[in-house]
Amino acid sequence: MRTLLQNGRILDPAQNMDRIGSVLIENDQVVQVGDVELGNVPADEIYDCTGLWIAPGLVDPHVHLREPGSTHKEDIATGTQAAAAGGYTTICCMPNTNPPLDNPALVDFILDRSASPDAGGVFVAPVGALTRGMKGETLADLAAMKRAGIVAASDEEFPIQNANIMMRAMEFCVQLDLPIMAHCEDTNLSNRGSMNEGAMSAMLGLRGIPRSSEEIAIVRNGLLALHTGCRLHIMRVSTWGAVEMVRQLKFLGAPVTCEICPMHFALTEDMIGDFDTRYKTLPPLRTQIDIDLLLQGINDGTIDCIASDHSPHASYEVDVPFEEAPFGTAQLESSVAVTLTYLTHKGILSPLETIRKLSTAPASILRLEAGSLKPGDTPVAQVTVIDPNLEWTFDRDKTFSKSKNTPFHDFRLKGKSLLTFCGGEIYRDSMFGADRYQIVTSA
Amino acid sequence: MTNNLLGIRQLDIDQIETLLAIAADFKVRIIEGRPVPKITDKVVGMLFFEDSTRTRVSFEQAAHYLGLKTANFAAGASSMSKGETLKDTILTLRYERLDGLVIRHRMSGAPNLAARFFAGPVLNAGDGMHEHPTQALGDALTILERKEKIEGLRVAIVGDVEHSRVARSNAWLLTKLGASVNFVGPRTLMPPNSSLLPGRVYHDLEAGIDGADVIICLRLQRERMAEGLLSSSGEYAAMYQINQRNLAWAAPDCLVMHPGPINRGIEVDDFTADGDQSAITAQIENGIFVRMASLYWVFGGTVAEVMA
Repeated sequence: MRTLLQNGRILDPAQNMDRIGSVLIENDQVVQVGDVELGNVPADEIYDCTGLWIAPGLVDPHVHLREPGSTHKEDIATGTQAAAAGGYTTICCMPNTNPPLDNPALVDFILDRSASPDAGGVFVAPVGALTRGMKGETLADLAAMKRAGIVAASDEEFPIQNANIMMRAMEFCVQLDLPIMAHCEDTNLSNRGSMNEGAMSAMLGLRGIPRSSEEIAIVRNGLLALHTGCRLHIMRVSTWGAVEMVRQLKFLGAPVTCEICPMHFALTEDMIGDFDTRYKTLPPLRTQIDIDLLLQGINDGTIDCIASDHSPHASYEVDVPFEEAPFGTAQLESSVAVTLTYLTHKGILSPLETIRKLSTAPASILRLEAGSLKPGDTPVAQVTVIDPNLEWTFDRDKTFSKSKNTPFHDFRLKGKSLLTFCGGEIYRDSMFGADRYQIVTSA
Repeated sequence: MTNNLLGIRQLDIDQIETLLAIAADFKVRIIEGRPVPKITDKVVGMLFFEDSTRTRVSFEQAAHYLGLKTANFAAGASSMSKGETLKDTILTLRYERLDGLVIRHRMSGAPNLAARFFAGPVLNAGDGMHEHPTQALGDALTILERKEKIEGLRVAIVGDVEHSRVARSNAWLLTKLGASVNFVGPRTLMPPNSSLLPGRVYHDLEAGIDGADVIICLRLQRERMAEGLLSSSGEYAAMYQINQRNLAWAAPDCLVMHPGPINRGIEVDDFTADGDQSAITAQIENGIFVRMASLYWVFGGTVAEVMA
């Protein structure tokens, strides 16, 4: 089987490549990139990629697959299908399942389920709990989980409040060469808040989460990383101060990286309107001032990568009073389009830097075999084809995710992933072949 | 046409003036023993998810005067305690064919959610720290009786503004009708950012009530001390109590109000609470008439019909 992606714009940050050319996938491997020589053997399928981007498969460092325990929200099969449709070929799943992912047997379970034929065909890289039960008290069996295949450790939505325990965890993770992914929040400062502390929370009479809750935890964790040498990946920065703190930590030489979620650069707290729980996320949506400085941080590289923080919840869990609603929203199938709409088309990121933040950078931070089109760099071909200019309306009823709690329903977006290869083809948009784009199949 | 009454913020001036005009007319009729329009064909659900005595009694009394039937629903005794969601409770009451809902809930925005799933009008009887529209309407009616018009008045709202739905609804209503509002209280009981609320913030009582035509005291909850927001109720009283001494900073005929329940000796001293300038008992009574007006208005009643 030979598949030719013909005449597209190849964007491969791993090779610093931005050129018009073709990519040849033979069986499950990328074999040629750029000027393709087919030789005597014709391609079985030729996709006309004129005007489209050909990129390494996208990498999402932050996804909630909800299995085990909350499969009414999502399961590994539907979550990985949503990932494939969103253009991802590798995703990291978070440990805040029920029971929490804090032992090697559960790591095996995740890897088995994600490799099953009814799953979406993407690689799932599990992130293990940092402490047992994510209680912030004793360390989980990190060495055993590392052997089983976790790529990082995190207590996710239950951030360790005791700095001494965090320091010990970092010391142990240095020895294991395991990065810590930290949701940075001082929960005493958040104090049961449900949205950004500011003018909107005052008007709506909702308890606010101050910016300092996030920024203090970033500084604390960043300094601990500096002094222990532990690799620290700061999850979902949302405030202007957070960007500045990360910038300072990097200046000091702390081994830190950070991610941003599309909601935080696309939307402000104003979207909450009259208590719309689809805009309740953690950290909360902030203000335009934050977005302006977040965009600067994305542009200058302080913010390393983009993570979806796909957090599916069932409708009945979301149709409740605002303070009762869970944090987080479904994101996998809108992230690429939102990134292109709000960053690339606004000149914040070049096309090559867009792909770096969506693929090569997260792969590098978590040392995943992904994020490159170079033959042999990844175990199997991981390729995503994107139409950067397609304008479409995001419709939550046409998604693969079990949950429809998206903040982008009915948004007009520009850019869409159309084809995803992970080994073989795992997703093809219905517009491809049937409608807008050409496929030539050799007889 | 039916309306919701979810908050004052969404109302326009005409709607507020309509509600107040209907309430004033109802009051005269009730006091003079003349009949009021009846809505005998409707049943209204009274959903009090949070303890309330005065607001509940006031709504019951208002319904009684209008001939409206009420269906009572105590959260503790209902299926809510069996794990039913608010949405399902609302849907159940909708298909029990209730015509309207009065809802009190400890969470801000709960009535907004109820309105999404209920077919008829929803009236907010106080939600979290968000709004308490009928309290504000009653207070406005009280002020109108004593001051004749609200436009141009200087109103000081004193106390725990941050946690107060009464403060928010009153500020919206009074500023919409042309008053200016000062929020007066300690830094720890003020929203950190009040730029979307219609009032100026003062931490000094003398400056905040300087020349005020109306002072609205807010209730101080004891849990504010446990939360570390205040050292003691004594310190609060020393700094922010409205009493005979500091009432001299306000206008000579300044009206003193309090939504109740009062902590006598803390927010306001005895002499002021029971004095000539106090409108506290009038607020309670007027609460009934504005709730009558609200119920009448949400079911499509107009001023013209009342006056006819």
